[in-house]
Amino acid sequence: MDNTIGIDVGGTFTDVILIRGEEVIKKGKITTRQEDLLTTILQALDFVEISDTPSIGHITVSTTLVTNAIIQKRLHPVELVLFPGSGMRISALNWPVPCRILSGELDFRGREVQPANKKEWEVLADDLRKGAATSIAISGKFSHRNNVLEENLAAFLKQEIPELKIALGSEWGQSNFYRRSLTAYLNSACTEIFSSFSAQLRKAVRARGCNAPIRVLKADGGVLPLEKIRPVESIYSGPAASVLGALAQNDGCESYVVVDIGGTTTDIGLVLSGNPLMSSSGARVGSFLTNVRSLAVRSIPVGGDSAVFMENGEACLASHRLGPAYCIGGSHATPTDAMRFLNLTDYGSFSKAEEGLALLLPENERNPEAIQQVALTVVRKMADQIGLAIEQLLMEWKAEPAYKVWEVLHHHPDFRFTIRLNGGGAPGIATVLEQRMNTETIVTDSSEVSNAIGAALAKTTFSWTLNLDTSLSRYRIEETGEQGEWEGPKKPHKEVEQFLRDLALRQAQEMGIETKTLQTDPFDYFPLVENYNTVGQIVRGAMHVPPGVIRRVSRGEKDE
Amino acid sequence: MNKTGIIFFPAFDWSLGESHPEREERLLYTQEQIFEEGIMDLPQIKQYSPGVADLMDVLRTQAIFPRLEKLHLDAHLIAAGSSIILGKAIMDKEIHNGFALVRPPGHHSGATVWGNRGFCTLNNEAILVNYLRAHYGIKKVAIIDTDVHHGDGTQDIFYYDPNVLCVSIHQDGRTLFPGTGFTDEKGGPNSWGSTLNIPLIPGVGDEGFLYALENWVLPRVEEFKPDIIINSAGQDNHYTDPLASMNVSARGYGKITEFIKPDLAVLEGGYSIQGALPYVNLAILLALAGEDYSGVIEPQKLQRREIGGETFRSYLLNLKRQNENIRPNWTLKKESCFPAGEWVCIEKNIFYDTDWFQEYRKDYIRKCNHCGGTVLTLSRNELTFEKAVLVRIPFEACEACVQTGYDLVEHFKNTEKTLLLQDQLQNKIMLWHDGREVSFDEQKNQTA
Ligand SMILES: [Zn+2]
Ligand SMILES: [Zn+2]
Ligand SMILES: [Zn+2]
Repeated sequence: MDNTIGIDVGGTFTDVILIRGEEVIKKGKITTRQEDLLTTILQALDFVEISDTPSIGHITVSTTLVTNAIIQKRLHPVELVLFPGSGMRISALNWPVPCRILSGELDFRGREVQPANKKEWEVLADDLRKGAATSIAISGKFSHRNNVLEENLAAFLKQEIPELKIALGSEWGQSNFYRRSLTAYLNSACTEIFSSFSAQLRKAVRARGCNAPIRVLKADGGVLPLEKIRPVESIYSGPAASVLGALAQNDGCESYVVVDIGGTTTDIGLVLSGNPLMSSSGARVGSFLTNVRSLAVRSIPVGGDSAVFMENGEACLASHRLGPAYCIGGSHATPTDAMRFLNLTDYGSFSKAEEGLALLLPENERNPEAIQQVALTVVRKMADQIGLAIEQLLMEWKAEPAYKVWEVLHHHPDFRFTIRLNGGGAPGIATVLEQRMNTETIVTDSSEVSNAIGAALAKTTFSWTLNLDTSLSRYRIEETGEQGEWEGPKKPHKEVEQFLRDLALRQAQEMGIETKTLQTDPFDYFPLVENYNTVGQIVRGAMHVPPGVIRRVSRGEKDE
Repeated sequence: MNKTGIIFFPAFDWSLGESHPEREERLLYTQEQIFEEGIMDLPQIKQYSPGVADLMDVLRTQAIFPRLEKLHLDAHLIAAGSSIILGKAIMDKEIHNGFALVRPPGHHSGATVWGNRGFCTLNNEAILVNYLRAHYGIKKVAIIDTDVHHGDGTQDIFYYDPNVLCVSIHQDGRTLFPGTGFTDEKGGPNSWGSTLNIPLIPGVGDEGFLYALENWVLPRVEEFKPDIIINSAGQDNHYTDPLASMNVSARGYGKITEFIKPDLAVLEGGYSIQGALPYVNLAILLALAGEDYSGVIEPQKLQRREIGGETFRSYLLNLKRQNENIRPNWTLKKESCFPAGEWVCIEKNIFYDTDWFQEYRKDYIRKCNHCGGTVLTLSRNELTFEKAVLVRIPFEACEACVQTGYDLVEHFKNTEKTLLLQDQLQNKIMLWHDGREVSFDEQKNQTA
């Protein structure tokens, strides 16, 4: 039977799992070396002994490589060039990187309003030849409707500077202009760091005699082969891994909140009738807003290793870590110590936990009652923060925009939510969180490596969204940025669905997706009327395979 | 930071007909434009999810005749409900101002509703205003209608109410639907002057429109001292609008918004769906959010002749003089069954252009020195000859007017097929069909 390996690189720990069929065969936790993620991942692979494991179906990695590179500003220089046209002042939004403005404007249907200025292009080429950037990202307002300006400039620059690496905003075919530009920029800026990582990873895995495909987890809970993923799509896969981990360990169509308590962060996600909730806008990373699709998740800076400090005689939680918990040999008290002291867990030494907490108090106040008080406060505050974030996420879900009468009238059936807890700190906080939220709170069986399970069993997702303007004879695909000529009738009906299906199937096959599982959303047809005559239609339609897991792991698996 | 709330509800699955101006496509390009600009990513913008208005909230303000279930209200209830959501957010101080960018529109829908007129069935602003008065104790409201058409429905609803100032500035009723909104329509016997109509000659552009606002509307509003200002933000004054003949630009609309400083703007008409709406909506949003809108430029330029300068200023001055010199001329009249007091009778015909029929109405207003006065409305559908009665006890009603209202109800509830009581003072809405009181749950089930 196929073996599957999942690795989740977290801020503090990296989890690894080996699953055979539905059975967890091996699981482990190693310390993450943020400065050397490759070594960390290889250590994890060695922990599950990939060299000696035959027939590995695939290895899936959820890595913070790109997220870290962006947040720590270790980005490759990229020239960002924009065609913003008229409209809102560009500085109304915060651009975290400098950009150059060129003339040329399209309208909302992709029709040219103002032509480009070739003189500016020549100046740009000269500057590029002189400057440090070897990459350029070109992005235009409404380029997701018509990429003509971007493509023309790219063709011009290719001719002028053949070695220049060129990325287009329209490759990220969704609105809006600001996010599309920054996404194209970021993807370009982390391509190098990601390709060198993936080349080394592949080499090292092959050197261990393993030929299994290597997949990378995305923020939307899907996976892509290491060779096919666009680097920026690998950001924030951690929270997605925990949602998938919960899916892999729960029954099909329940609704629940997933809470994953890590070392210094807690991730919260939402599952509705077995489907993870997607965010209605793209992911934010550092000061960049992107178009990267992600699950609707909340991350808060509190976890089992958060440092505890005293303020005005009251215990408080810091958003950072000062090493491991006192009860396992650390130097500073943490929520883990509080939970140990209160006997909510049996992880670590009780007497060390007591000692760590006592050290927070002035010497003359270190009595059992006072220590108890500190421990209770810590756990309550942690549960409060998590509870608040859960409430916010549920609010976000309820406040999802709706653009059709039908959507508003069928908005939110009354789900009853329970809570599924993952992560090292899960057992310790369960009772307190249950009281805080007044709803059943269940600790997932393999909670400490749940994210790795999620990564290992993640299903390949697929999403394909068409925007067709029959009057201008132009179609666009959001996800890939593909644009082309429509040769069908002005007032199509069934033909569009077939057209979309053909395009989608072609893409799905290329990605190795089982086409039977494709779901089609209802199409929206907008009759296009000019001077009281219907001159065409704008059609919107989509097909997708939602995020999920290929199978579930069997319950009650307890081997260490 | 001052937050601006927005509800974008384009009703992509609702239309009045495939090539009707009020069709699915109407806000499609507005969506493309405002989303692509990244408006929703502005830190001061907060997007809200649409909501559905309660029937109770509708009936507090408008009488749906002859029976609720006769009209398809779903889309209209969402447009009204969304306006209420933003109104609440303003009152709760979550946001500083807001824009209900919603379809369908509502300002032609009046105190009695037998069907759709001027594309409107429910009056979003009026329902919102009375909601805020009932739930937040708001006392004085100014509604400024900058749609090119006379906001006749809104005027009708608040005509006898001294606490709501209704200003409508629009293309002259002699040249445009609905054919009303002249300067002598100034309010009822207890609310004289609380309605202000400024009909404009065709061809007026940014300059003239802003001049009229600055020199007439804004001083009047300031004098009135409203607790809240609502803008019926129709966009058919734009120079590309196919139904009207004015010459306002998108940036002109931005400036109008900046002048009025509405707490809440609610979209009304505007049917140049490619040439104007994406740009006008963007300019209004930017103006509300305190952002620069001077870069909002429509690709299509002004080609019609603009009326402005001295010609316009003297026209307006003349109009203002007329307005000041008008004295009311009430017809006092009462039926034998009326409770004591002086009653002013106003007769009117209301034309429902969408379904092509007329309503004939007699409004009796109790003259009162203490409050807006209880209003009795006898209404008849001239197509079906169905009759219905509305009794309205106004917000801030005096004791005598309250008693009068209930006396009228006692009299009419057994004799009329349909009777609606709007006791706005005590927030009590009651409905009788054939002498039997109908509960709202029952009504809801029938509409579902
Ligand atoms: Zn008006
Ligand atoms: Zn209008
Ligand atoms: Zn009175």
